[in-house]
Amino acid sequence: MNFNGTILLVDDEAHIRKFVGLILKQLGAPRLLEAPNGKEAVAIYEKENPDLVLLDINMPIMDGIETLKKLREIDPECIVVMLTSLASRSNIENALALGATNYIRKDTPKEEIAKALSETITSCFAEE
Amino acid sequence: MEVSSNIPPPDLKGRRILIVDDDRLNIRILAGILKTEGYVLSDANTGEKAIEVYANFKPHLVLLDVMMPGIDGFETCRRLKKAYGDDCPPVIFITAKNESDDVVEGLSAGGADYLPKPFKPKEVLARIRSHLQNQLLSEQQKLLVEQLNKADAAKTRFLGMAAHDLRNPLSSIRGLAEFLLDGTVGQLTPDQLDLVNTIHSASQSMLTLVNELLDVATIESGELKINPEPHDLTEIITKSVYLTNIEAAKKQTRVDFNPQPPSVVAKIDSAKMRQVVENLLSNAVKYSPPGSIITVEVRSEIGLRTCGFSVKDQGPGIPENERHKLFKDFGRLSVQPTAGEKSTGLGLAICRKIVEAHHGSVVAENLPERGCEFRVTLPLPS
Repeated sequence: MNFNGTILLVDDEAHIRKFVGLILKQLGAPRLLEAPNGKEAVAIYEKENPDLVLLDINMPIMDGIETLKKLREIDPECIVVMLTSLASRSNIENALALGATNYIRKDTPKEEIAKALSETITSCFAEE
Repeated sequence: MEVSSNIPPPDLKGRRILIVDDDRLNIRILAGILKTEGYVLSDANTGEKAIEVYANFKPHLVLLDVMMPGIDGFETCRRLKKAYGDDCPPVIFITAKNESDDVVEGLSAGGADYLPKPFKPKEVLARIRSHLQNQLLSEQQKLLVEQLNKADAAKTRFLGMAAHDLRNPLSSIRGLAEFLLDGTVGQLTPDQLDLVNTIHSASQSMLTLVNELLDVATIESGELKINPEPHDLTEIITKSVYLTNIEAAKKQTRVDFNPQPPSVVAKIDSAKMRQVVENLLSNAVKYSPPGSIITVEVRSEIGLRTCGFSVKDQGPGIPENERHKLFKDFGRLSVQPTAGEKSTGLGLAICRKIVEAHHGSVVAENLPERGCEFRVTLPLPS
């Protein structure tokens, strides 16, 4: 994967951040930021301006959908990929309608997540 | 808990009876007889009045005269049945002794029984007691069914929530174990590898269980949605056979699939149907002794407008006396997997429900030599 930017990984479950973080590292992502909820994610986004946000949907304090709206307000160009498990279809559709670029299932085996992440990131930054 | 065979008759004291008769004397006689049993009474002297009193009094039984000024007893009964439906308690008509036409019309208007005049107190009490008992029992039964339905829905909701919340941590455990296994975070000693392998396979089998529980919860809450689109059944089977063969090789078992005809297009939900195929294949591998050959066939019967596939194994077959459990939730049979594999007893129940959602069927048949055959039949688009 040819990607030099900064990724912000947002998930309230520490084990998911660790797991997905390791996959990203293995894929060669150079810089990774983490946030445990939407509120912190927005604060980090404003300060660090990451190139890509990986965003969980079900989170306390501020959920993924709310966060997505906020991020799109701050930066209409921001690239957000939703991290879902068995989240209902309507949630994913909702996120895509609100401007999320794509979504990735985080509850699949490591290779599948790695493949999905690398494909998504490659396609998101293909034009640049 | 011991169940006594001598269940005492239910207490009927305080049950409410509405007496409807334009003849005050009849009401007085009936009231005199019924009071001895401790029933609560109310009366009305016309059908219209009865309907009015009914709404507030909510009787458990109605005694209804036939001939009355205004609407007659039959019409009153029909109106009550129409207004209250299944909640309407038994209506007993009061008739003169030799009016058998009245009896017939009364029963067809929704009446439960009739009381011939002149009243014989013992007969009146016996008939009324028996109807009140039935009424009470059906009331209790309705309540019980309602409570059971609620409890069942709560169980399904709980199951879904628990399974859902267990999925993420479990898949992280599995994934993190994979990181330890592949050496990304440093080499492990053989002993450490053995432990991590155990963690990996334990989390994998728990995930399978949780997924199946989640499937059951989804299906039971009526949220199983299939998305049928034209798909090639042969292609779905080919992919599943390929994946199953990787696992099967560990038991020196092989799945043979010679796709004939080469393509069978049906309207199916490809992900769900793949789940069915994989489940039947993994069962076949699980219950066949190591070194077996599993045979998969696909078929298309255009004349019958059906298509389908079958999986033949070389296992011990299905014990006839356990056949009824085969496609039920948690319907584990006495037959055991041949290499210590796990079984939740949910797989075939899920298969059946998915196939039925496609308007198809799945059956199992023991083969004459040994082993058994699972046959899935699906409708072909016309």
